[in-house]
Amino acid sequence: MLSFVPPDARYKIWGLANRILLALAICQLIPFTSAAAEREPYDDRYCTTCHGTDGRGNEGIEAPRLAGMEDWYLRRQLENFRAGIRGYHPMDTAGIAMRPMAKLTDDSIADIVAWVGSWDYQPAEITIEGDVQSGELLYGVCATCHGMDAKGNAAMGAPALAGQNDWYLVTQLNNFVAGYRGRHEDDRYGQQMAAMVGTLTDESATRDVVVYINSLETR
Amino acid sequence: MVNPVSRREFLNLLAATGGIAAALRAGTALNLLPGSASAASLDLLNLGSNQRKIAILGGGISGLTAAYELSKQGYDCTVLEASHRCGGRVLTLRHGDLIDEIGNRQYCEFDDEPHMYFNAGAARIPSTHRNLLAYCKELNVELEVFINENKTSFVQDDNMLGGRPIRNIDYTTNMRGFMAELMAKAMNCDELDAPFTEPEAETLLSMIRSFGDLNENDLYSGSFRAGYAEGGFLKHGVQKDMIAFRDLLKSRLGRQMMGANEGDTGPILMQPAGGMDQIIRGFLKHVGEQVKYRAMVTSVKVTDKGVNVAYDQDGVRHSLEVDYCFNCIPTHLMVGIDHNFPSDYVTAMKYVRRGEAYKAAFQAKHRFWEDLDIYGGISWSNTKSRQLWYPSHGIHKAKGVVLGAYDYGGGMYHTMMNQEERIEAHLADHEKIHPNFRELVEKPVTIGWHRMNHMLGCSARWSRNFGRGWTHEEETLYHKLQAPVNGRHYFIGDQISMHSAWQESAVMSAQWALSHMDAQVRAELV
Ligand SMILES: Cc1cc2nc3c(=O)[nH]c(=O)nc-3n(C[C@H](O)[C@H](O)[C@H](O)COP(=O)(O)OP(=O)(O)OC[C@H]3O[C@@H](n4cnc5c(N)ncnc54)[C@H](O)[C@@H]3O)c2cc1C
Repeated sequence: MLSFVPPDARYKIWGLANRILLALAICQLIPFTSAAAEREPYDDRYCTTCHGTDGRGNEGIEAPRLAGMEDWYLRRQLENFRAGIRGYHPMDTAGIAMRPMAKLTDDSIADIVAWVGSWDYQPAEITIEGDVQSGELLYGVCATCHGMDAKGNAAMGAPALAGQNDWYLVTQLNNFVAGYRGRHEDDRYGQQMAAMVGTLTDESATRDVVVYINSLETR
Repeated sequence: MVNPVSRREFLNLLAATGGIAAALRAGTALNLLPGSASAASLDLLNLGSNQRKIAILGGGISGLTAAYELSKQGYDCTVLEASHRCGGRVLTLRHGDLIDEIGNRQYCEFDDEPHMYFNAGAARIPSTHRNLLAYCKELNVELEVFINENKTSFVQDDNMLGGRPIRNIDYTTNMRGFMAELMAKAMNCDELDAPFTEPEAETLLSMIRSFGDLNENDLYSGSFRAGYAEGGFLKHGVQKDMIAFRDLLKSRLGRQMMGANEGDTGPILMQPAGGMDQIIRGFLKHVGEQVKYRAMVTSVKVTDKGVNVAYDQDGVRHSLEVDYCFNCIPTHLMVGIDHNFPSDYVTAMKYVRRGEAYKAAFQAKHRFWEDLDIYGGISWSNTKSRQLWYPSHGIHKAKGVVLGAYDYGGGMYHTMMNQEERIEAHLADHEKIHPNFRELVEKPVTIGWHRMNHMLGCSARWSRNFGRGWTHEEETLYHKLQAPVNGRHYFIGDQISMHSAWQESAVMSAQWALSHMDAQVRAELV
């Protein structure tokens, strides 16, 4: 009933897998970090450890939803994290946590963006409460860039908001208000956004606007 | 030691929450009820010709405990492990091993020799962790003594004696002497003496004298206990100079120095010969074929009849239908995995905070500590690297691996640094103890548990008011998460214990869940 696997059998299997991976990597089919052939291989597709099943977000580690994110927006944010344009402020703890994870090559970023695009998308769970009517009024300013339906506008560089984790939207709005995001001199779009949050004068305003976004149809 | 009354109370509590089988089993663990010292005393029903399918999520030590015990009784188990290896926080690093820290992947470059390893997670087994030790025995895992406190190791603090490192024995001998002198003075004062009878007071005073090695006037004037300044064998030993109390008080490291052998590290400590993961290998000898590697769980749905699990392996989503499920995936990761758990269970899952442990190690080009009469043990410093561990094993071999940093509670300080910064920090810190440390070591490894793939944290933190114990609400949340969902899905691991950060806790949580499930299966089969 109980089977015995010699401890080195696994290493042999991995050795074989490694060689196959290496061959695939040479054909540029999958990203592969070169290492001595007998060593445990690894790739950069580790996003779902934090961002959850199919990148639907994980409140447990404050990692937002990636599924459904526009490819151009995801690429820009990964590049911003990599360059230290985002996640630079000591109070932006989740952003700081993300920075070392974005130490990626351009190829890896391209691979990840394509991979994320292949994920099954489901709207995020609603976790916060507030006043939709007040939120609708406040959303007027946001609509200019993010669209009336909050589905984003590539030409403006403004991502979709509908369908994103509401707790994440709240954190990011708070970060923009407090200056933890969007103050880096090279963060052109972030600066634009930071200039737009003046109407969010208190926490309840922030919550209300997110509650309104929650009420919109997702993609 | 647990006193008999609280043991009894504990059993009553368990019986209320976990059923009789669990209570019986725990009774054995606490040595209250008769039981064999072997882990086989976990009395699970053998299925015989019946069949039950089990999914075990995560190949941590608790998951492997479940796989091992259930396989013995004829259950059909599948272990789904997201990583390339089993063991989770039981991680031994050797030549060529991958350190899967996100954003800081490394390969361990230590020399390829059996004694050249580093226990980057669990490293010590107290002699009181009898369930874990029973598995070591049953799985033929050879154990050796782990040297924790070593009087010849160093204590260094920039605030004390101009930063000059002194030996542990100098610190503790002098500190005990001064403390004893103070206590003796107090004993000679009538008011403090009052609660004691004369014989009691006399006994106490004689203990105080011997505790601090006081002279006939109840004063401390240095002690041979700190070793000799010179001589001692062919010539009479010369006593070392006293270190002034005030000087010692400049450092707060007394907390570590005076309490080294207390609490969890009070019992004799052990380690498996060849690395902590010998225990994992021991389990895998029996259940290795049931493990699927790089199989990342993506969904856990509890139904009336069992549990449906989905996982990704080789870019393909697979599904698995089972009767029961044991899950040691860290709760903070499980929050991001699809599930249909009830909302109060989810609340409990989200409540748990993740720990922040950090460790680092170096290969030493030669065993320089042995030249300084140090064999094993820990040097303490008031630096961020905090600890320097000399290996207990490989004595007198050419090289060895030293632990170059261990911060259990505040590991984020180094975790936030990049690899070069981390290494430089440890080299600079330990140069204060061993002036040429930088030249003596090479081939560093660093492990920020907060960023290790598929872990992203260390031991679960249930209590938010640290030091003041658990609140009633926290206990309620804990019991919520310990109880199975629909009788089918059990969380296990040290996260489901009130004493996280030990393998024993992980093993016992699995045994608790197994006993609980066993009671259900017995009921199904009558
Ligand atoms: C620095 C440090 C020092 C320690 N020192 C000691 C010590 O001296 N003595 C001692 O006894 N204990 C010590 N411990 C604690 C001990 O290591 C842990 O308590 C114990 O190993 C926890 O085991 P576990 O079963 O809870 O699972 P874990 O080890 O937490 O394993 C969880 C498993 O789940 C897997 N997983 C995660 N996500 C998924 C997914 N989506 N799908 C499938 N699998 C997944 C992980 O890869 C991992 O293998 C220490 C720990 C650390 C980090």
